[in-house]
Amino acid sequence: MGLILDFYRPGRSWLHRLDPRVKLWGMVLGLLLAFLLPSTGAQALFFLAILLLLRGNGIPWNALHWLWRQIRFLCLLILFLQPFFTPSGETLVALGLLRLTLGGVNHALGLTLRVLTMSFLTGGLLFTTEQRQLVRAFVHLGVPYTWGLTLSLTLRFLPAISSLLGTVREAQAARGWVAEGNLFRRAREYLPVLVAVTIGTLRMGDQLTLALAARGLGTASKRTTWRDIAMRPADWRALVGVSVAFLAVMGLLR
Amino acid sequence: MKKAIRVEHLTFAYPPLIVGETPEPLFHELELNITAGEALTVVGRSGSGKSTLAHILAGLAPRYTGGELTGKVRIGEQDLVAEPPAPTAVGVLFQDAATQLFTSSAEDEVAWGLEAVGAAPAEIGPVVMNALRKFRLLGVNKRPPWALSGGQQKRLALASLWALRPRVWLLDEPLGGLDPIGRAEVLAALAQLRQEGATQLFTTARMERSSWGDAAALLTGSALTAPATWGSWRAQQARLVAAGLLCPAASWTRLEQSARTPDSALALEARNLCYAYPDGPAVLHGLDLRIPQGQFVALIGPNGAGKSTLIRHFNGLLRPTSGSLQIMGKKSRGLAVGELARQVGFLFQRPEQQLFATTVRKELAYGVRQLRLPDVEERVERSLVRFGLTDIADHPPAILSYGSQRAVTLAALAALETPILVLDEPTVGLDGRGWSQLLEWMAERRVIGTTLIVVTHEMSLAARADRVLAVRAGHIVADGLPDVVLAHFGKQA
Repeated sequence: MGLILDFYRPGRSWLHRLDPRVKLWGMVLGLLLAFLLPSTGAQALFFLAILLLLRGNGIPWNALHWLWRQIRFLCLLILFLQPFFTPSGETLVALGLLRLTLGGVNHALGLTLRVLTMSFLTGGLLFTTEQRQLVRAFVHLGVPYTWGLTLSLTLRFLPAISSLLGTVREAQAARGWVAEGNLFRRAREYLPVLVAVTIGTLRMGDQLTLALAARGLGTASKRTTWRDIAMRPADWRALVGVSVAFLAVMGLLR
Repeated sequence: MKKAIRVEHLTFAYPPLIVGETPEPLFHELELNITAGEALTVVGRSGSGKSTLAHILAGLAPRYTGGELTGKVRIGEQDLVAEPPAPTAVGVLFQDAATQLFTSSAEDEVAWGLEAVGAAPAEIGPVVMNALRKFRLLGVNKRPPWALSGGQQKRLALASLWALRPRVWLLDEPLGGLDPIGRAEVLAALAQLRQEGATQLFTTARMERSSWGDAAALLTGSALTAPATWGSWRAQQARLVAAGLLCPAASWTRLEQSARTPDSALALEARNLCYAYPDGPAVLHGLDLRIPQGQFVALIGPNGAGKSTLIRHFNGLLRPTSGSLQIMGKKSRGLAVGELARQVGFLFQRPEQQLFATTVRKELAYGVRQLRLPDVEERVERSLVRFGLTDIADHPPAILSYGSQRAVTLAALAALETPILVLDEPTVGLDGRGWSQLLEWMAERRVIGTTLIVVTHEMSLAARADRVLAVRAGHIVADGLPDVVLAHFGKQA
């Protein structure tokens, strides 16, 4: 269990300072691109570019590694199962009805890269954007404050819940809890952990309600803002830059 | 004199857990008066309703918790039953301050409340900086709240309340779970608030240490006694012990008298033990440690010193990055956590995060069954009696009070009857009766030769150990008799 309890990694890099609205826009375009890029090679290049962008903006390896650990199971699942469901092209190995094909492997690779790209794009936004800025971005885009707050609190508490899961598992392991055997058995063994985590999460939610109310959520008719976000010339340039780059790639693909 | 808090005929009950049942009221005809500028301590057992009282006075209960309230509750001239108080009138510090911090930096945390009440943006910055300076948090203003120490978290919660300048402060066990440094920091901050004329209501589960404020009132039997001075309460030891608010001297004596000469065989032996978290910095730097069977060892040291990391090695939750560890003569590397669990019983912090069974009895039996130990029923029964849980044996543990949940986790551990016990901060949040149960159980185990390894910030407990280890920055900096080690390290631990 890592020690990460929040996605945000403090820093002063270009990506950190970029207006969160531009980052959101960049993320949307990036997600679109991940879907539209046709070849596995292009997907790989795009993923590499994202990795370089994050590393170049001071996101430490351990944060990227942590993100990988969260999605690796899904990635491996796709990588190893998907080829059998989408056979095409030359057959590499045949196991009875199952055929491992070149096209299938290629397809699975592309899909895995897509998942990776999408996760790391989202990570890029969350690792470099403070909760306050994210909420402000949503509010400026017309989302009501409470919705923006709810979203950012969810993001803030997801890692807390994952840390709770770690604590609970440790506590149960010390009482002889083990999750082994077949899938059904394991699912049953997991019950004590899931119950404790669910209770803990509900408790966390209750406490949060009280904390927000005690600090005056919704008391003023109009909430004020300390240090609002504002688009600087550099943000406008970045906005134009990513949009043009996106259109250029689209043009090349036609 | 102007009254800051006025409670008359307060009766309150939480909603029933089972539909159709009439719940027992937590408070019945409770009266409370605090003059502006006064500080009162409410002393009550775990589960007596201290937090609920704070929540009612903050306007949070029953508004957000549900429940039935009758009677009058006023803060200044404002009727709280009709309308919740503004955060500029009342500030409430939660028992677990970490749960009241929800933004991603210390300065945002302080600014949040000011924004919520609609303060002018130009005024927010200076107030935030003032508040952080006042509570000595300027150096960590950009740090996320969860990365702060326990004492810093409490001070940050206080700073974010102070920014709104409330006249009435409700402080729910403000010193709970803090190391001596954190405690001193928070006490200094509270003393400053008093000088500014704040009205304070302070709660605590134990009489001993908490001589805070002008007077104290006991919360017993669903009502508050009249406030009296600390001196007059100290003269009523028997009454306090009977109310479960003071640990009887006899329990301390029994722990002292349980001392025995440790065996020559070793319970634990660590050689050059090093540990670094994956993707993280090194936490333990080459520790050498030999603990004979039957010894009572106290581990002290400031938060973040590496105590928890060290003891997690003892039951195999962590494995040394380098160096070796032997438990009861066997290399820990080869043993699964399940096997180690028969040798090493481990008490974790935060009991509320561990309970899952539908009844207390099942909770106690779980570990015994998992480890395939004999005499399940007898062990469970003995444990229930030992920790006074027989009456609530069929209750779901998740809904019990903190103190009872702590007792359940202790009882679940006791039922395993392991030769080594590792207890991580076992006294946090315990009332007098809880302390007494813990000390008596430790004494019993010590007499039959159980090795006790206890991480604690309570120097009174560490002073009763056979040996004290002071841990700091991943090194054992002192190892010896309690008198010697505590004289040097007791204040900083």
